[in-house]
Amino acid sequence: MSRLAPPVSRWRFVIEPRWIAWHLFAVVAVIGMLWLGDWQLHRALGGNALSWAYTFEWPVFAVFGVVFWAKTILDQGKLPEAGTSTAQGSTAAGLGLPGTASRRPAAGAPDEDEVEDDPELDEYNAYLGRLNRQAQARGPR
Amino acid sequence: MHAQSLRLVVGAYRGLAWLTGVGIITVFFIGIPLQIWAHNLFIVKYVGTAHGILYIIYLVVAFAMTRAVGVPLFSPVTIVNWRTVIVLAAGTVPVLTFYVERWVSRQYIAPALAAAGGAPREHPVLR
Repeated sequence: MSRLAPPVSRWRFVIEPRWIAWHLFAVVAVIGMLWLGDWQLHRALGGNALSWAYTFEWPVFAVFGVVFWAKTILDQGKLPEAGTSTAQGSTAAGLGLPGTASRRPAAGAPDEDEVEDDPELDEYNAYLGRLNRQAQARGPR
Repeated sequence: MHAQSLRLVVGAYRGLAWLTGVGIITVFFIGIPLQIWAHNLFIVKYVGTAHGILYIIYLVVAFAMTRAVGVPLFSPVTIVNWRTVIVLAAGTVPVLTFYVERWVSRQYIAPALAAAGGAPREHPVLR
């Protein structure tokens, strides 16, 4: 299995400025969560029994944050065309994501039409279901 | 991923989403008013702690679910994809939990189950 020498490492994206900004955010967030855990520990030692739960909760969140960030980097690094910023436009296609995944990636919340029932879609699904039942009732030909 | 393990992680996610959703609503709309106006800490203390523990489990299970059904972690525009983040954060926002569960079911879980050969209930593919 011979590989053509890649011009740049596929992990090159990790040092792009946008990614570095997120790395910094991840580090600050993890330190913040550990600090909150430490703060709760002091409250717990001060006699606030409720704080014991949070004393253990925050470090768990911190670990989860590390896992989440590592998974995000690994997901991107495993893509064959990852590595250069020019390839990023095609990453959604490379992931094999559902069509909606990259449609409006910058929105801040689930869109109304996605959250609410779509009567048209329901009707179409019911129609497909009817067709399927009819086909099955007739049996294979 | 096999249809059976997919259904298992989806079922666990739905159960935990319901529990954390009910928990955070109870704390927010009953526990906190009681704490403020009646100085009664009972619900905040016990339901709040239970929600906190359940949320840790929710976080792990919901993350496994998003990976299994293909909710993206990466976005070409924002890098961190808000879809997965919203699913994970939903367990801490009153009422939102239920909306997010419905949305992720329709957008990701139903297609993933159909693709894995699970019950072709909604999108029967005639071959």
